Amino acid sequence: MLFTPTIVNNIVGGLGNLLQISNILFVLFGTLIGLFVGAMPGLSATMAIAMLLPLTFNLSAETGISMLAALYMGAMYGGSISAILIKTPGTPAAAATILDGFPMAQKGQAGKALGISLVASTIGGLISGFALLLIAPLLGNVALQFGPVELFAVGVFGMTIIGSLTDKSVMKGLLSGVFGLLIATIGMDTISGTARFTFGILNLYSGIPFTVALIGLFSVPQAIRLSMQNDDEAPITSDVKDRMLPTLKELWFLLPTILRSAIIGIFVGLIPGTGGDTACWYAYNETKRFSKHKELFGTGLPEGIAAAESANNAVVGGALIPTISLGIPGSSATAVLMGGLMVHGIMPGPTLMTQYANVTYTLIWAVIFSVISMFVMGLLFTRASIFVTRIKNRVLAPIIIILCVIGSFAINNSMFDVILMFGFGLLGYFMDMIKMPTAPMVLGLILGNLVETSLYQSLAIGHGSAAIFLSSPIAVVLLAFSALSILQATPLFNFLRKKRKTT
Amino acid sequence: MKKAIVAVFMVLVVITASFGQANYPTKPITVLQGFSPGGGSDQLAQLTQPFLEKILGKSFINQYIPGATGGIAWFQLAKQSPKDGYTISITNTPMLMTNYIMNPDFKYTIHDFEPIANVVTDPGIIVVNKDSPYKTVQDFLAAAKEKPGQLTVGNSGTGGDDFFTTLIVQKITGLKFQMVPFSGDGPSWQAAMAGKIDASFNNLGITYAQVKAGNLRALAIFAEERNPALPDVPTLKEVGFHVVSGSSRGYSAPKGIPAIAKEKLLSAFAEMAKNPDFVKAAANMALPLDIKIGDDYGKYLQEQEEIFKAVWDEVKDQYRTK
Repeated sequence: MLFTPTIVNNIVGGLGNLLQISNILFVLFGTLIGLFVGAMPGLSATMAIAMLLPLTFNLSAETGISMLAALYMGAMYGGSISAILIKTPGTPAAAATILDGFPMAQKGQAGKALGISLVASTIGGLISGFALLLIAPLLGNVALQFGPVELFAVGVFGMTIIGSLTDKSVMKGLLSGVFGLLIATIGMDTISGTARFTFGILNLYSGIPFTVALIGLFSVPQAIRLSMQNDDEAPITSDVKDRMLPTLKELWFLLPTILRSAIIGIFVGLIPGTGGDTACWYAYNETKRFSKHKELFGTGLPEGIAAAESANNAVVGGALIPTISLGIPGSSATAVLMGGLMVHGIMPGPTLMTQYANVTYTLIWAVIFSVISMFVMGLLFTRASIFVTRIKNRVLAPIIIILCVIGSFAINNSMFDVILMFGFGLLGYFMDMIKMPTAPMVLGLILGNLVETSLYQSLAIGHGSAAIFLSSPIAVVLLAFSALSILQATPLFNFLRKKRKTT
Repeated sequence: MKKAIVAVFMVLVVITASFGQANYPTKPITVLQGFSPGGGSDQLAQLTQPFLEKILGKSFINQYIPGATGGIAWFQLAKQSPKDGYTISITNTPMLMTNYIMNPDFKYTIHDFEPIANVVTDPGIIVVNKDSPYKTVQDFLAAAKEKPGQLTVGNSGTGGDDFFTTLIVQKITGLKFQMVPFSGDGPSWQAAMAGKIDASFNNLGITYAQVKAGNLRALAIFAEERNPALPDVPTLKEVGFHVVSGSSRGYSAPKGIPAIAKEKLLSAFAEMAKNPDFVKAAANMALPLDIKIGDDYGKYLQEQEEIFKAVWDEVKDQYRTK
């Protein structure tokens, strides 16, 4: 049933299609652009796809879309480069990579950190690529099961992650998360159409652009810190000749983390409305949950990097699954890709797998091929990029700021966003000074809208009764997990555990 | 002497200016788009602009200024763009009007614009899950009558076209639905397809692929006549309720552009509309053409504004708590 002769034919045909010089070249080009864009703080994959989309209008549909998918894949790895080397996430999906990537680089192991990221990205990307090729129709229906009720549960579960992102002071972590939720309420409310906290400023009507806030919160404080450091007491620079790729033994040790995170990535990708920026946190959190030495997270653990990076590359294939099987974009980047298909005169929908099978299967193979080209180019590109750690702080800091300005401007072609970015930059620096973590705020910003709108929608569907949340098995399981995660952190749980030990 | 020089200079400026105008366009035309690349506006731009470029002999530059449901681009067009005919914008209803009808922060109205042409109108549609008990629109309306306020009906967001359509349908039929706002057309039909809600008020062009594939069932469209793409789907008018609604996309310029530029633009759109290749290209993209040139478009915008204003005035107290 799953592999009818037509499907096998389409799979083979798609591979044949891809293996034309022009398509291969555009995929390589896309991957390279992706790596570059990903590595630049402030330029996100979604944005780069949107900016390059008009260029593809002159190409054939399969070539153009394949290039953009390759860009998406490349950017997911590229984002980790700046996250590890200069503590500024290249893309929102690399925000969780900072937590362990940067400390590892500071220990002089930048090369190794990048190698782990590259290998994890490659494996995660490949798994999701083959999931896309082989079981997309099966998984596509999973995406459909995530309605408002389930999305609310996903959001609540996501918010429990805040707990694991607070290292020293729980109070400060929670506060940061709550501020994030509050900031997420800015803008026109989907439910009532009312403008909230916009103060008559039109630019605030669409809410705080998440990427702008992220650039400000992470990159600007880092630039300020760099310019305050004395160049003479420069931090340990990493050896370029450092062995990059992990040994087989190390890889074997990381494999469970990578596989688990890839599956998380695929599923988060599947769910419409969530993408790499969410997946990296979920994967990081689960890795920490299953780890035997939770307290070492945040000090430069290879698992932390592998989790986030495997997950965000797996999102690419995952997010494309509902896109090609149902015409439902799984993430914001695939939504732009789908727009590209529409402009090419291809109506995204169930016909993508049949009527437009040649385009679709070329695209799928392009995703798989882009993982391979990402790995090869990543090796070369990364080795060169380690030189960044040798750049003097007084040169690096202004460069970061310039990139932040370009990145935040380019999202909506708006100067207002640049000012907003600097505002968040100062906020981030202030939070740093009082030792309040910024990661929970980012999570609050990502999840705030999701949780609020889906709660209202669920209650509307349930005619005001919260019992609606018990009607969906997915929601029940996720909400139970959330409750457990919270209980796990309370004294009650310790009490129960102790009791069990003594008996 | 000095005055004479100034006078001569002025005359020269006027001559060169009018000369330049007679040759309109002499340089590329910028199109402000209030939404991101790849969205509905961009789709329209990619459909029309190759034809317009051939007719006018100059290229178009798309400038994407997403934000505030198009409001930032339209404010810029109304208040900050040069009125020389070289900056125009894609204008979408109902957002073009509902923006300022619902929120006084939007400091433009349709009277700041010179309507050029409407190109596409995507009629509203009622879609339900393929296994839904409602086989026909009569079933659906009967069920709504039996259980007032119980049927869950999705729309693309408060203030969007489907939101207003639902309100208009409620008013005309005297029925009451449980409205569920989503963020966009996509999540709304997806919820209907998954059976999470009883129905989605959506648009024909957006749901066409799923209806054709049998994943969604279309019950009725909100148009004057049946649509050739779905000839079996009745209009709501046929069952006795005259509701015509949808979202349209066209082009507008700032008010006060030179007459010659306006004339050239209007005739370019009229010429494009007659081109069979263009009609075919639109059909390929499943975009229902609805060409209204110049004053016809202006009249349409004005009528729409009145309708939305009246509907909003009636319900706004439910949405605005003081």
